[in-house]
Amino acid sequence: MRLLHSFVPSLLLSGACIVSAASSWSFEDASISVSGKGSGAGAKDKLSPDTPLAKPVSLGATDTLKILLTTTDGKTAKRPHQAFLTLTDPTSGLHESFVFSVKESGKAKVDLSHKDLPHQFLSSSKPIPASIVIGSFGSSAPYKAKVFDLNIALDPNTPLAVPEKPERYAAQEEIHHIFRAEPRSPPKIISLVFAVAVLGALPVLFGVWATLGANVNHFGKAFGNAPISHALFYGSIVAMEGIFFLYYTSWKLFQVLPAAAVVGLVAFISGSRALSEVQERRLAGLR
Amino acid sequence: MSNTSAKGASSKSSGGQLDAQKIAQGVWSNYVKKTPQRVKLLDSFMLFLVAVGALQFLYCLIVGNFPFNAFLAGFSATVGQFVLTASLRMQTNPENKTEFQSISHERAFADFVFGSLILHFFCINFIN
Amino acid sequence: MRWLFSFLALVLLGVAQAKSFSGSRLLVILEEQSEKEKYSALLGDLNDRGYQTTVESPKADKLSLFKHGERAYDHVILLPGKSKGLGPALTANQFLDFMKSEGNVIVALSSSNTIPSSVQSLLLELDIHTPTDKGALVVDHFNYDSVSAADKHDVLLLPFPNPPRRDVRNFFAGEGVLAAPRTVGQVLGNNSPLLAPILRAPSTAYSYSPKEEADIVEDPFATGEQLTIVSSLQSHNSARFTVIGSAEMLQNEWFLADAKLNGKAVKTANREFAKQITEWTFKETGVLKVGKLLHYQNEGQNKKLNTSTAIPENNPTIYRIKEDVAFQVEISEYKSDHLVPFFPASDDTIQLEFSMLSPFHRLNLSPIGQTANSTIFGVSFKTPDQHGIFNFRVNYRRPFLTNIDEKRQVTVRHFAHDEWPRSWQINGAWPWIGGIWVTVGGFVAFVAVWLYSAPTEKSTKKTQ
Repeated sequence: MRLLHSFVPSLLLSGACIVSAASSWSFEDASISVSGKGSGAGAKDKLSPDTPLAKPVSLGATDTLKILLTTTDGKTAKRPHQAFLTLTDPTSGLHESFVFSVKESGKAKVDLSHKDLPHQFLSSSKPIPASIVIGSFGSSAPYKAKVFDLNIALDPNTPLAVPEKPERYAAQEEIHHIFRAEPRSPPKIISLVFAVAVLGALPVLFGVWATLGANVNHFGKAFGNAPISHALFYGSIVAMEGIFFLYYTSWKLFQVLPAAAVVGLVAFISGSRALSEVQERRLAGLR
Repeated sequence: MSNTSAKGASSKSSGGQLDAQKIAQGVWSNYVKKTPQRVKLLDSFMLFLVAVGALQFLYCLIVGNFPFNAFLAGFSATVGQFVLTASLRMQTNPENKTEFQSISHERAFADFVFGSLILHFFCINFIN
Repeated sequence: MRWLFSFLALVLLGVAQAKSFSGSRLLVILEEQSEKEKYSALLGDLNDRGYQTTVESPKADKLSLFKHGERAYDHVILLPGKSKGLGPALTANQFLDFMKSEGNVIVALSSSNTIPSSVQSLLLELDIHTPTDKGALVVDHFNYDSVSAADKHDVLLLPFPNPPRRDVRNFFAGEGVLAAPRTVGQVLGNNSPLLAPILRAPSTAYSYSPKEEADIVEDPFATGEQLTIVSSLQSHNSARFTVIGSAEMLQNEWFLADAKLNGKAVKTANREFAKQITEWTFKETGVLKVGKLLHYQNEGQNKKLNTSTAIPENNPTIYRIKEDVAFQVEISEYKSDHLVPFFPASDDTIQLEFSMLSPFHRLNLSPIGQTANSTIFGVSFKTPDQHGIFNFRVNYRRPFLTNIDEKRQVTVRHFAHDEWPRSWQINGAWPWIGGIWVTVGGFVAFVAVWLYSAPTEKSTKKTQ
């Protein structure tokens, strides 16, 4: 009898130790439902702590997601310190947790709708894994596992109000200046044709002059009367055009101006003499 | 009376075209006969300048005015030369003797040469 | 004799170890002088690195961060104490002025002490939020030390942190486990680009107030990775400010403690982490310096970037539009006590902006060469076809690196009158060139005819 008495407490103690050493947090009687505004209770699914739901749960713009469960420590229903529903954004890895309101008995519930979700989740195109996290002080092992996937169904009429991206210091996009288009010349052949046409007008002019009887018959007479003046005058006109040609091809303005001044002076002085000779011939009736 | 006037009227309308042709021919033969040779030489030079200017303008209409400064330089060379030659013609035409008594033909020619040289310099400078 | 040499070597070594880029005067503010023993390893490490440390109580008279208008110390460590007020020398404004004079600050918090009101307002000013409840701390039922906090789970064991973004250099990497006992969690404001978390809480952690939420947490201050344990701020003048949520992290007993994480025995590596935090905050690491900046006209399209010293005319003040320009800048990083070449993180690039009012070009600089203590970054580009006053600007700001903002102003002029292509080179102009020269030719011939032609009136009269 005494042996039994001494045995039982130690058995109980060891049993309790085994039980407490192995106890871990979990939940039971879990259900998830999505209900629309005014449409009453929607689809209801059971959640299992070991396997996630096969189908993702869809949450519309006016829907409310409701999760009911009972948290358990080992076999007994108990209230933990921490009972969260954690959503993880698959693209950025962002976590957001929603706190279950848990009664003393371990019964817990949480509601979720679009207005509770940060915009990163609302704009996610992939299904969002949702996990339940249950933990508390003491040595019971905490619980964390994915229980379902959440699909966000946005209202197609109301656009999502995404807030402005906050300023962050990082490398920005490259900018390459786009240059204005260079003006382009027309095809060479057209320019050539017209250039040739223009140049060809000069021989035509000489031909017309020839028909009209133009000549240089008074050349000898003029040069006989005032050789130097005429030579210098006509020569300076030709020289002036020659200076202009050099200006066009190679000379700079400040090389042109002194030369032009000199030639102009020569033209003026010789020209007055040469033209008075022409006047003599005109008044003599030869012109 | 009315017959002849009617006839005259009909001849006028049917001969209207003939009249225009006759007038043009008359003008032309008058020009050829009456104009001194020197003036005709001037006129052919001016016609040449008009033709070259028209060619340049036609080219601009076809391909556009790039480079614009070249178009202005080329076109205004012919136009400016035409104007100077026209003024030389006015001042040396024997028919205008009474109006330009104070300006001798040679003085007009000297002005013509001076103006032309400046025009050429400007155009060559502008076309680069 | 040998002892003399070794003594000299030791002295020189001590002198050579003066590491911080911005000075070595350190002020440690500690209310209870008796607690100095707890931080002796940290202070010893700092002294070994060449800091001249002064330990003062906030109540000490004549304590001032400034002297004669200049800052009296280069760095400050504020350790938690019992009193709610820190005195007139350590108001929030005094700390802000200290940072404006480029002083660096480490503030350590503890959940067992109330945060002094001046520190609260200082943190709020910097957009760092702390729980308002007294005694609030961070717990994690998944990552706790089962040796010292088997029940309370208030000693977090965390790995060394990753950088907050892929393009940010990590100054706090390491192998091992960090212990964060009784941490005051912080939440960083989202708007400021100056804030960067150094060590974040794991996703299962949360902050709660033991007085009010002993049974169940219903409205936690923050959860998961939104909580930071060590946060940092680098202001525009590169003054650094670090908040360490757990002052006990810096204490001797946690520098090399035996802990147990999920059944595995580990040793904490807090000493290494404390060294990294103080190195970063006191500007021993993550300090950049700009050396020679050079821009020049890059003659020829195919000319490679010229890295030799024989570079033609450097840094001209005037460029022309549509001209090839090359730009180079030397950037060094300060390491221990000398400058070494700087390499940005793999996803990150330094950029050059060529801008008037807004950038016309924003180009990535690539390393084109290296000197003994700097990397030469360069790029070449064509000046835009807009004339005006432009700036070459290298504006490189990144978390954990001091700021670089170098500007050089140049004029970009239009084509000069003799830089345009000649008319004969433009084939569209040929008819008009012909027009001018034909006019000239006709004129010269006309002058000859006018002067020397004999009239043929008789012949015309004859044909009549």
